[in-house]
Amino acid sequence: MNYPVWDVPFLGAGMVVAIIAIIHVLISHFAIGGGALLFVAELWSDRQPDGERIREWLHKYATFFLVYTTVFGAMTGVGIWFSIQLASPEGTSLLIHQFVFAWAIEWVLFLVELTLLYLYYYGWRKNSRRLQVALAGLYFVIAWGSLFVINGILTFMLTPGGWTIENRDMAAGFFNPGYLPSLLIRTLVMFLVAGLGGLLVAARLEEEGGLKERIVVFCSRWVLPAALLLPGLSYWYWKTLPSNTARLMAAGATGLGGGRLEVMTLFAVAAGVAGTLLVLGSLLYQVRPRALGVAGAMALFVVAQIGFLGGEFARELARKPYVIYDTLYSNSLWKHKAAEAGYRQQPYLSLTRWDPDVVPLTPQHGEWAFRLQCASCHTRSGYRGIIPRTESWTPLSGFKWLETMDQQGVPPPFVGTAEDRAAISSYIQSLHGKNVGAAEILAEAQADGRRRSDGGETREVMP
Amino acid sequence: MTVDDTRRDPGIPVAAGREERSPDPRFVPIPPEAEERSSDPRFVPIPPEAEERFSDSRFVTIPPEAEEALPPADTVTGKLGRAFFRRLPVWPLVEFLSKKKVPRHRHSFWYTIGSMALFFLVVQIVTGVLLMVYYSPSQPWSSVQRIVMEIPFGGLLRSIHHWSANLMLLALFVHLFSTFFMKAYRPPRELTWLTGLALLGTTMFLGFSGYLLPWDDLSFFATRVGISELEKMPLLGTWIAGLARGGPDVTVDTIGRFYPLHVVVLPLLLLAVLSVHLFFVQVQGVSEPDSFRALPPEQKRYHRFFSEYLVNEIPIWMALAALLVALSALFPRVLAPEADPAAAAPEGIKPEWYFMVPFQMLKLFPGSLELLGMALTGLIPVLFLVVPFVDRSVPADRRGRVATRVGVAFLVYLVAMTVWGMVS
Repeated sequence: MNYPVWDVPFLGAGMVVAIIAIIHVLISHFAIGGGALLFVAELWSDRQPDGERIREWLHKYATFFLVYTTVFGAMTGVGIWFSIQLASPEGTSLLIHQFVFAWAIEWVLFLVELTLLYLYYYGWRKNSRRLQVALAGLYFVIAWGSLFVINGILTFMLTPGGWTIENRDMAAGFFNPGYLPSLLIRTLVMFLVAGLGGLLVAARLEEEGGLKERIVVFCSRWVLPAALLLPGLSYWYWKTLPSNTARLMAAGATGLGGGRLEVMTLFAVAAGVAGTLLVLGSLLYQVRPRALGVAGAMALFVVAQIGFLGGEFARELARKPYVIYDTLYSNSLWKHKAAEAGYRQQPYLSLTRWDPDVVPLTPQHGEWAFRLQCASCHTRSGYRGIIPRTESWTPLSGFKWLETMDQQGVPPPFVGTAEDRAAISSYIQSLHGKNVGAAEILAEAQADGRRRSDGGETREVMP
Repeated sequence: MTVDDTRRDPGIPVAAGREERSPDPRFVPIPPEAEERSSDPRFVPIPPEAEERFSDSRFVTIPPEAEEALPPADTVTGKLGRAFFRRLPVWPLVEFLSKKKVPRHRHSFWYTIGSMALFFLVVQIVTGVLLMVYYSPSQPWSSVQRIVMEIPFGGLLRSIHHWSANLMLLALFVHLFSTFFMKAYRPPRELTWLTGLALLGTTMFLGFSGYLLPWDDLSFFATRVGISELEKMPLLGTWIAGLARGGPDVTVDTIGRFYPLHVVVLPLLLLAVLSVHLFFVQVQGVSEPDSFRALPPEQKRYHRFFSEYLVNEIPIWMALAALLVALSALFPRVLAPEADPAAAAPEGIKPEWYFMVPFQMLKLFPGSLELLGMALTGLIPVLFLVVPFVDRSVPADRRGRVATRVGVAFLVYLVAMTVWGMVS
């Protein structure tokens, strides 16, 4: 780690956040939906002749649930905070300051949720039946409340709605256009994941008097609400996306930009494929409940994890190049500042919070400008690597491309002087193993500019 | 007419001479159980009404166990099943398949790897056929560019085909080593092992032949390097390389050879060998490791393959399908610029990972030592080929223990050389 710039080789800072977050999101959905399953299964067991045996299974489920959601959930949850503040300090700061009360409520709910879960689990033998049912139900209500809060902040990042940097209207930002469809989608997905967790625990049961069959059928039914309602809700959510995002996602069926820009569409496809497979897999075990084995149940959990990967990646990519849509770019550049006259033409390193104090036009200048302005999205040769993306660049074409990069698709506007652009172009050439000095590039660009103005040509926009 | 006369004319019943044993071995005496077939209780007498409907009496036999196994006769599936078996007397085949069982022990998971490879093969066939719709061997690069850029989800299909090929090979290597360490190659399964090795070899050639088809920078130079390495092989090297290339260098004519190989010849060969491989597994049953064999019968537990085991395979295939889409989204296969045979090879051209070991060996043994490098590389498949004829003892004896140690050394060597080749 190279504080204050988090330079993660091969993966990139954003990917580190994504890896932790994707694991966390599955756990957090399970943590809520599993509460609903505990509550409903408690009631169901009371109506069954062999309710005690069902509760034995439920106790195993609760053990898995407790360990998985509290240990791994807490680890990844804290991991998200650590990583996002390093990957995007400006974005994290905005979210904390804008939604300070929401965060406070969320953390209180989280604390209550944990307390209720411990009371439920450790009171298994001592609590009365009514109290156990009540604790499970209350746990679900509180846990779902935490979703109610965090969903507002998550959807705000993509669809801020009536919120602007000027009005800072918290209610408008919180109850934004994507809020309701997202809340409903996540609620249904939670039920689905809860059922998958139930299958995982039931897979180890020995077949005795049809108990395993009944539990497997009970768990696999939790997929049905999602199977029936998710297609429609997903369409509703899609309609709330910013028009530019929706257009890009629809266009991503073909290979825009050499097959690189359709990635958001591909992640959405991955989510759709995983969702469909989960429905089919759950139905398979409804039909053949006795056949359920650990490998099959774990495989469905893997499908769910991939579904979350697809869905969350698509959602994150839908914001690009912003971290807060239409407000803050991924590289911590504020849109309103970029629009100010003269702002983008200032020396870039003088505008950053941490001026590395380098001599202009040196290799260090280019490297630092790259790290601060580009590395939040691009690694050098790994994920979204800059090297394969600049194979056709010449020193001069790179210099020119940077100036108009916001017109070339996804990237945000460039901030900095001609010296900054020459330094970055030189640095990128060095990544290709070519030693071309920034001063040399600058001189070539100036000569090119003179030549064009003499010939009466207008400025060329690089393809 | 004599008995000999009836043998010469197969159309004439031999009932009269059945008692006599033929001196001609081609004429096998009819076994007594076949003699009694007509009285076999499994074959239900033909009801009169069926007699009227079907003139051919072979097509109305449903053995009682089939009746029992089918859903009730008044359900739709029950009716369909009965109608099926009335028309197609394949119940013995169903019985034959239903006998397959999979041992349950702590290494059981490794049995799944073979079916994973099979799943990837199905994906390869489906995506390959779809890619063929738009691929043109006369315009290789531009047709692939059209697939990636213009055809809806063409890039996704291509990426899935790429990832599935790689994962299929990975699954085959894991399957190879897992069966090796479980000693599944020992008698009577030598032929299953050998057909498995043939499947791996065919799949590697499929990978090699398919790699050139997009005709981009990367595929062109990697193929050129690969074939030139092959050319160094003593005796037949030059001839094989010339045959593969269709000339002294890799050109579009080479695609004319690789394309039919990739889409017709090798897939057909693969399917044929695979059928034999699976037939052997079905007939001989799934191999059991020594620790499982040593258990008393009452402690041995099995899954029935149809359908208990198979039902749990389906979610695994689903996970693989989802994984293929996710990998294609995370790391899409990018089409490099069109190959320019006149240009200098880009730096760092390497073969795919599954050819990295011979590539790395030739780097380690340059110049006059190349033959030694080739010989050492060639030793690996030879040793895999001979192992079932050397290590035969159940339970494993000294040779068996040596084979396991050699297998571990091979595995370490293959992984180390592959990783070294990829990072160096």
